[in-house]
Amino acid sequence: MNKVIALAGNPNCGKTTLFNKLTNSYQRVGNWTGVTTEEKKSKYIKDKNIEIVDLPGLYSLSTDTLDQTNALNYLTKTPPDVIINVLDGTNLERNLSLTVELCSLKIPMIIAVNMCDQLNNNNVRFNKDKLSKIFNIPVINISALKDINIDLLMDKAKTSKDIPIQLDISKEKGENAQSKRFSLVEKITEQVLIKKPLRLEKTTLKLDKILMHKNFGLPIFFIVMTIIYFLTMKVGGFFGVFISSFFEKLSYNTQICLNQLGVTEFIVSLVCDAVINSLGGILSFLPQILILFALIAVIEESGYASRVAFLFDLFFRFFGLSGKSLLPMIVSCGCTVTGLMSTRIIEGESERKMTIFLSPFMPCGAKTAVFAYFSARLFNGNPLVATSMYFLSMLCVGVFGFILKKLKTFKCGIGEFLLEMPYLRVPAIKDVFSVLKEKVKEFMTRAGLIVFAVSVFLWLLKSVGVSGYVGDNVEQSFLFYLGDILKYLFYPLGFFNWQTAVSIISGTFAKEAVVESLSLLSDDVSVLFNNRFSVYAFMAFILLSPPCVASLATAREELKSNKLFFMMMIFQIITAYIVAFIINFIGFLFDVSGGLLLSIIIGIIILSSLIFAIKRLKNYKCNLCAHSCGGGRKCQTKVKRYTT
Amino acid sequence: MLLSELKSGESGIVKDFLNEHRFVLRLNAIGLTKDAMVTLIRTAPFGDPIEIKVRDFYLAIRKEQAEKIILEKL
Repeated sequence: MNKVIALAGNPNCGKTTLFNKLTNSYQRVGNWTGVTTEEKKSKYIKDKNIEIVDLPGLYSLSTDTLDQTNALNYLTKTPPDVIINVLDGTNLERNLSLTVELCSLKIPMIIAVNMCDQLNNNNVRFNKDKLSKIFNIPVINISALKDINIDLLMDKAKTSKDIPIQLDISKEKGENAQSKRFSLVEKITEQVLIKKPLRLEKTTLKLDKILMHKNFGLPIFFIVMTIIYFLTMKVGGFFGVFISSFFEKLSYNTQICLNQLGVTEFIVSLVCDAVINSLGGILSFLPQILILFALIAVIEESGYASRVAFLFDLFFRFFGLSGKSLLPMIVSCGCTVTGLMSTRIIEGESERKMTIFLSPFMPCGAKTAVFAYFSARLFNGNPLVATSMYFLSMLCVGVFGFILKKLKTFKCGIGEFLLEMPYLRVPAIKDVFSVLKEKVKEFMTRAGLIVFAVSVFLWLLKSVGVSGYVGDNVEQSFLFYLGDILKYLFYPLGFFNWQTAVSIISGTFAKEAVVESLSLLSDDVSVLFNNRFSVYAFMAFILLSPPCVASLATAREELKSNKLFFMMMIFQIITAYIVAFIINFIGFLFDVSGGLLLSIIIGIIILSSLIFAIKRLKNYKCNLCAHSCGGGRKCQTKVKRYTT
Repeated sequence: MLLSELKSGESGIVKDFLNEHRFVLRLNAIGLTKDAMVTLIRTAPFGDPIEIKVRDFYLAIRKEQAEKIILEKL
């Protein structure tokens, strides 16, 4: 008989860290509220009959944000056999309020006071026997991070049948019940905890004075992001050179070996060009991607991300977003898929939708690989090129956020803003490494499957024409014919050749494929572009177009509407096109070499047809929110428990 | 007085909420209830949002909401 044990508790109290330890998995953790947005299930490593469920953090059982409702539905509809109520030891009072509420579910429960290492360090005396007596259930001090008392906790949980005492017997709901519960909790905390100022709190306050300084807070953030991209490009590029030269040698030597063995040219080309070269092309950017992910993880883990959201809230509101939009955007700098999933922490429905529209603009790992490729080949490895891409994406978020705000679709839902400021922590190296380990795995599967398949497919199209195998006469291949037609679309952007057209098309699957196809199709990238501005225009196009198939699927899932989803895709493509066009146009102003009029005409035709498409979709009414848009059958607000 | 009128370092006891009911419930759930003590820690650049300390934790809230929370100054 399988036993289900659920981990429940306030946001950011360490449930996922405990879950990862119990099930040996690598779910994402971070030091801000709302990292986990969906329940995760896995088997306990030491006893396969036990299933552990990790729930998104809950403040209370009467809740209404999307991620918290998920957790609530889980607890009430499919009650687990045992609840482990994880408490953040550094903030017992608020955490205990949920405990009191959980007692009303009448499910066997056990209390795990997490981060006890922090309590011991600070000589905070905490009487767990008293707490245990009050609720009549076992209480165990643990530290999920430092692996203290985890096995003891599970031994107790396995056999636990103690249903907690229901302390809050009033049947009232709403305001009065909440404040009554808190005064009850106050009494409990007084009994079990002797408060002393935490050292963690003191250092946080000191550091916050600098990080959230009225004048220096914003510049500090920009400096931090610049340093991140600088390090990614400089250090990553250094290691990347080794990998790419290794693969060049490998490809060259394999070619010689295979030729001597008398293998046909077709096979030699398949192995060397399609497999080894394109794999090397993408793997040489692994160091950059890893460094970027590690640094983004540090920002999340330290708790700095919430500070940035606080600093930027006013500005982001001006663009129709919320300060919390910055959290998904920072995550998107690593990977857009996870970024889009963390948009669920945003309360306002229109702010959330806009964040989904805009956060794919962020330069994710795969896009960074494209920038690294160009800066290494055409800009002498100047790390400022990739950094400028990051600022360009921020600029586009602002400008296009401001434009989107005017649309009817984004004028519903009330933006409330409540953000907890977690204590600043030194990021656990273990967590950063586990993020990296996952990323390497993910990157290998992506590079190995999607991107690899795309490149073999491209190679096939490139080597086969009407007359069969065409070898080096690429001009007779199917791919050439295809790219030769598509290239007209990109004429106004300053790259008028079939190679770039094909690489952009293959990039719709995953942006890593852009690098792969460019290194497959051309020996010298510099001849493909009119001037440096058109290279920059190409990079901007890659930056702003949808990152990959997986991110599109996630966006569809999060938007829950086909119409909005198509609107988002068209919006992102138009934006990419406009921005690339403007950059190329600026290039023309410096270097008038003809073709200007033609590119303007083609550009206007393509843009106006796209704008026509979006106009048809514009008259869309929001059906997710009942407040200012009349509501619909699918209206979310109707599901919520308390409405006025 | 209102929560938005506190200067940094000053504290008050929450007496009443004039916010939308749904939002009040969220504030309550998180621990900002009647009779709770709040201290203003800092304001963001240009004065909005503000960071407050309630019970044992730190919370950021927009000024437009803070203007609807009535305090008794300590």
